[in-house]
Amino acid sequence: MDLIHPHTASDVSDAMRAASADGTRLRVIGGRQHLGAAPDVDAEVWTTLLDRAIAYDPAEMLCVVEAGMRLADLRKMLAEGGQEWPVDEPDDATVGGAISAGVALTRQLRVGQLRDTVVEMEFVTGDGRRIRSGARTVKNVTGYDLHRLLTGAHGTLGVITQVALKLRPLPKTARTLMTRQGGLGLAARLLDAIPLPAAVIAGHDRVLVRLEGWPGEVAEQAKAANEVAVMADDDPAAWPAPAFPDAPFLVQAAIVPSRLEPLLEGTKRFRALMGVGFAWIPCDDEESVGLVRDRAISLGGVVSLQRGAAGSVGAAPPLPAIQKRIKAAFDPAGVLPAPVVVP
Amino acid sequence: MTDLRAARRDLDAALGAQAVHSDPLAVKLYARDASLVEGSAGLVAFPQSTEDVVTCMRIARDHGMPVVPRGSGTGLAGGATPLDDALVVVTTKMNRILEVRPEDRLAWVEPGVFNLDLANALEPTGFTYAPDPSSQQVSSIGGNVNTNAGGPHCLAYGVTSAHVLALDVVLPDGTTARIGAEGPAAAGYDLRGIVVGSEGTLGIVTAACVRLTPIAPAVRTMLLDFAQVEDCAATVSSIVARGVVPAALEMMDRGIVRAVENFAHAGYPTDAAAVLLVELDGLEGAVAAQSRQVEAAAREHGVGTVRVAADAIERALLSKGRKSAFGAIAQIAPHYHLHDCVVPRTRLTEVLTGVYAIARRHDLIVTNVFHAGDGNLHPLFSFDLTVPGTLERVLAAADEVVRLCVDAGGALSGEHGIGLEKRDFMPLVFTDEDLAAQACVRVAFDPDGRMNPQKVLPGGARCGDFAAAALARADQLPEGTWI
Repeated sequence: MDLIHPHTASDVSDAMRAASADGTRLRVIGGRQHLGAAPDVDAEVWTTLLDRAIAYDPAEMLCVVEAGMRLADLRKMLAEGGQEWPVDEPDDATVGGAISAGVALTRQLRVGQLRDTVVEMEFVTGDGRRIRSGARTVKNVTGYDLHRLLTGAHGTLGVITQVALKLRPLPKTARTLMTRQGGLGLAARLLDAIPLPAAVIAGHDRVLVRLEGWPGEVAEQAKAANEVAVMADDDPAAWPAPAFPDAPFLVQAAIVPSRLEPLLEGTKRFRALMGVGFAWIPCDDEESVGLVRDRAISLGGVVSLQRGAAGSVGAAPPLPAIQKRIKAAFDPAGVLPAPVVVP
Repeated sequence: MTDLRAARRDLDAALGAQAVHSDPLAVKLYARDASLVEGSAGLVAFPQSTEDVVTCMRIARDHGMPVVPRGSGTGLAGGATPLDDALVVVTTKMNRILEVRPEDRLAWVEPGVFNLDLANALEPTGFTYAPDPSSQQVSSIGGNVNTNAGGPHCLAYGVTSAHVLALDVVLPDGTTARIGAEGPAAAGYDLRGIVVGSEGTLGIVTAACVRLTPIAPAVRTMLLDFAQVEDCAATVSSIVARGVVPAALEMMDRGIVRAVENFAHAGYPTDAAAVLLVELDGLEGAVAAQSRQVEAAAREHGVGTVRVAADAIERALLSKGRKSAFGAIAQIAPHYHLHDCVVPRTRLTEVLTGVYAIARRHDLIVTNVFHAGDGNLHPLFSFDLTVPGTLERVLAAADEVVRLCVDAGGALSGEHGIGLEKRDFMPLVFTDEDLAAQACVRVAFDPDGRMNPQKVLPGGARCGDFAAAALARADQLPEGTWI
């Protein structure tokens, strides 16, 4: 297999144009943290050399970086400005990889969704066209937000080369509280009792509560939490919540919060993001992955695989004709993988 | 040429004659939105259900009529202004709140529900709908979705797109679909994200699933006044640099403060060059800590007085002043033209100075009231259209304001949209190739180009040949296969 290491967006454009002319099938690789099942490809485009910071002024609460920048480097740069991009993915993940994977933000209750943090994007289409959409401002209604299509598209529409990200101030203080017992019921009571938490994560064996903000506010929240349950405090290893590192397969389900209970009924090990509706379920084999998938879809949810390759896991998207036309318009020669869809 | 009488007959038969208007008054009323541009409506239909909207789309297709969706018509960019005798589909009769599910933090509403009515209906649940455009008393959720509307509270809470989970849409061919998801992730490409802000060019929204945001337990509103506009603008950056994200951070200059004070009697300081209205919300501990930071930032920049609203009544009075600004300016002159552009927050001062200079050059009165925290400017030119030559001066000034904002690294529109008004400015911020890619997405939804034609994209923007051919080929692929 050929490996392509572009240094610039123009290199990416050359590579894509050549691939489209030759019919080379490509796959875009970032930090290898969110890769699903490997499609059958002839070459890989590694974006990790596209890792420059283009602009960062803390007063704008925006930064512009190339897509191959590792999250560790981004975190370091932003911390110097007292800010963060609120994505709790591994240090080795790249900005572009996290965006392509459309990762869940564990602190969504407080920080919103990933898709709303990307305000401008430069990308290269399957046939080598260099496109920009959005603007380097926090608000913008100027034409169609093409970057929203690339966010969560798993590299099927083009190669993201550069993004402008909406940032947040780093919280002045943060605490992670933990119960000694688990369950959705206890977690639901904590979610109700604590005003504006960053996250309440239910597990089979414990409930994690993440509190962030100004010291007075976090103290207020911790007090409310302790009125519901005895909470152990501030285990530095507890955040971000570790996700079953021993399991060969990790399924992420997305469902309305009120259906977490039927989704997880009888599940031995799980984590669930309360008030949001993400659940993470470790599986030992493909068969159990399929069972979780079927149950989630029957409850109106969608699933994706966070770890392991188990054939296709997904759900049928709406308006398949429009989805197909969009894929065709951005990748006319079909050099990038097709989206994974389970009917 | 459309046979309007035949189309009217078909619509009457399907929707009932009372739901279709073609008398001269209705056609004239619906020939424009709140912008300066007047177009021409062929027929005006008032559907009451998704089925009615499907019917409108099919009849329009059968008669070759363009379709222009419209909510309350408060848009300022001409997005709902019909051209070429279009069928105007007005969604204001679809105004039910369908479902409120606090346990899932969502609500389903029809497009004609007014923004403020939704927020008020949600209040007893302890949740709210966060986006709050100044037009919220009369602007509809459907219109808000189509312009990706903003409002003062978008600084902390984000614009409409961040609060729309799913949409039921009717496509130009009459197909219906649900895009997005009630849950936190959806299958396929984010079509929801493309339809939000698409200004009625991709389909008609017949229901929106919106996110509910918990109402903050504590709120504090502060009014800061400054002798220099520059100090006021610098305070905005300084607040942000201190790690404070206010719920709202609104700036008003002297002209607008005087007009508002005459109207709202909120005790705004009419001798200040500019005032900042700062709203902080969250838990009491956060509000207290942030208000200390805001005050310190203001003192660094020579603030005159720091007024903190003592109670909910005073808070409401201060924000009433802000929200009534566009009514209050009727005292200055009979007509106005409101601009909307976004610049990097750190360039606010120089852009404002430039706006004042443009107004002077064109002999126009300009006042400014805007979302300073977002860098979202709203220069407001006041004038009397009956004075010959005025419109030309206003449009010339508008042109210069747009270029000024773009040169400062800004965007054409922060929350009002492109519509007709700014369509021809699109090449200032996008290359031909960027615009062609946008055109492809539009074609993917609307191959025949019947939804709100001539809006958003400039005349020359076309999906490129290679992409267009692939797009057409995609329709021939067997089910389950992709290019």
